[in-house]
Amino acid sequence: MKDEKKITLWELYLTKEIGIEFKACLYFFAILFYYCCYRMLNGIFDASILHMTVLIFTCYIIGYIQVYVLWNFDEADSMGVKEVAGMIICTALYSVVSWFGNWFDRNIIVTLIFAAYILFTYFCVFLIYRSKRRIDDKKLNEDLKLFQTRHKKSE
Amino acid sequence: MKTDIQKISEGEESIVIRYKELTPDLNKIIGILEGTGSRLWGKTETGTECINIEELLYLESVDDKLFAYSGDKVLKIDGSLNSFMTDLDDGSFFRCSKSMVLNVNRVTALKSLSSNRIDATMEGGEHIIISRRYASDFRRLLKGER
Repeated sequence: MKDEKKITLWELYLTKEIGIEFKACLYFFAILFYYCCYRMLNGIFDASILHMTVLIFTCYIIGYIQVYVLWNFDEADSMGVKEVAGMIICTALYSVVSWFGNWFDRNIIVTLIFAAYILFTYFCVFLIYRSKRRIDDKKLNEDLKLFQTRHKKSE
Repeated sequence: MKTDIQKISEGEESIVIRYKELTPDLNKIIGILEGTGSRLWGKTETGTECINIEELLYLESVDDKLFAYSGDKVLKIDGSLNSFMTDLDDGSFFRCSKSMVLNVNRVTALKSLSSNRIDATMEGGEHIIISRRYASDFRRLLKGER
């Protein structure tokens, strides 16, 4: 009975894949927002389907790199050298793709601001995950106290 | 070992144990007879000792050997983690990884880690990581759903 409840390797893999899907969507919308703002500021009120397609593929690929190569840095327990390195590498990748994909008309200033924006987004996501874990800590410790009280009563 | 069982119609019932060396198995039998079955017998560097199950912090299997840790004692015990969970678990022990079982009643604090892992701080200050494979089951245990 206990083994049936235990998470299988397939479920673990699926959890990771869902995490990557979530990351891809999250960063896609964050970048799309920046892209749309840039287009509107230039008086263009439509978005290129090609740019958006490249963007979503880039988000997926970088999501895989984040999870499988770069220690899933945005969900890390603390911000260290590894995590900062991961953020910089991924930001550089996004910036390079944006440059060659011509998302911002190869404007160096806009690309640099884009890089800063990505770094800021990563930092915000890191803080969000950390806050989520802190709330989870409280719930876990409450459940622990209840468990211990229940157990003492039944003894 | 020779077993001599006699049925009597009168007089007080009694059990006599004659031994050359006090083995953990014998200690278990004595524990059952004395009504102290919740004690765990094992070997330390100084000889055979026992501790109450409730005093245990965690058990760890290292190279097919099983060790039980309390705050101040480390006992090498017979059997496996599975047999411990089957025979002696009173609902307060949890299998937190392939090689470890922890006593939930001796956990002082829990911390949620990345990748859905949990860090359990024991009364002795040790930190035990509950792997994400076991974390969901642990959460269910705390909520009384197991």
